[in-house]
Amino acid sequence: MATTERQSLDPDVVRKFHFTREMIEGPVYRKYQKAIRKFWSVEDLDFTQDAEDWTRIDDERKRGLLGVTVRFLAGEQNVTDELVPMLTASHALNRFDWTVYLSTFLMEEAKHSEFFMRWHDRVVGVLEPEEVAQHFLVRGKTIDPSGRFEVRDVLHEALPYYGRQLMEATMGGIEAEIERAFVAFSAAYNAFVEGVLTMPSYEIVIDTTTSWNAFPTLRQGFKLILMDEGRHITFGTYATRVLIEKDPSYEEEVHKVFDAYRGNIVGLVEYQKAVPGLDLQKYQTMKVRHYRNRCREMGITPDETLIEQILDPSIDFVVGVEAG
Amino acid sequence: MAKRWTCVEAGCEYELVAPDVESVVKGAQEHIAEAHSSFELEEMIEDVLEDV
Repeated sequence: MATTERQSLDPDVVRKFHFTREMIEGPVYRKYQKAIRKFWSVEDLDFTQDAEDWTRIDDERKRGLLGVTVRFLAGEQNVTDELVPMLTASHALNRFDWTVYLSTFLMEEAKHSEFFMRWHDRVVGVLEPEEVAQHFLVRGKTIDPSGRFEVRDVLHEALPYYGRQLMEATMGGIEAEIERAFVAFSAAYNAFVEGVLTMPSYEIVIDTTTSWNAFPTLRQGFKLILMDEGRHITFGTYATRVLIEKDPSYEEEVHKVFDAYRGNIVGLVEYQKAVPGLDLQKYQTMKVRHYRNRCREMGITPDETLIEQILDPSIDFVVGVEAG
Repeated sequence: MAKRWTCVEAGCEYELVAPDVESVVKGAQEHIAEAHSSFELEEMIEDVLEDV
């Protein structure tokens, strides 16, 4: 029971406190609580069997697997580094529950980086930048033979770009501009990279290592990471939906992001072609599922031309994917 | 309180009611794997659950 009369409270003192009953019963605070409850540690994982499996697979499989895992190692470090603009914007928008949840989000991205660092160190015996960089597949510029699509570097180009835009808007202090930039950043980070582009890559690694009957801890790590990613994605799509409900004109920012990087979505995911025996169309169909679901979560209308292009079997150039 | 999950795939009207969140998530993931040859993350399922 309150013992102080509300009229006598100094508003500056009240502003020092952020928790409300509505907030702690809300969906974002629930994600924070779940992240704490579902905490896992890389140090609890046993890499012994994976290290043994590494010694018995042939060089072609080693090259194929490393091509994917090294990309995830680079990608997870990059997304850890690029999340800060979302935190500062949440603070500027007075969304304390978003800030609280994002503290777990950032920690989890760091942990995902740690997982790949430990796996490469203990299984393959590489850790230093010069050691792992030798295994990074440099494709050069990916060309769509039809000339219709351009493949760009989402992780190292789009995320820093939209992050800078969001930081500048946050520093500018105009709420509507911060919200618009937040939607664009979240569309790139949570919806595009985490929510659509990398989803089939996780599945490909899980399918491949299962078919090889090898690397149980790599598979376990991917499943644990996916559990965290589910919260990241649905936080981003929920926050985007909240902002779009406030101003429907923000929806166009989502479509602009997906359109700017259309080539990366319509092309085949790295190693859909390189790992023998995989069902290519399965992963394109999955991308469409994830895209439709992200749009539903954000409360926006899917771009049907994008869906048709993802499913078009004549569009089969390969795009490198580096995780979320 | 029992929970209901409705599949969000286009053209699919599958509905599942289970006594708790854990059971409904398990059932929904089985449905997505069998009917749609794909996977759904726990968080996405939990976000669309309805109380019955």
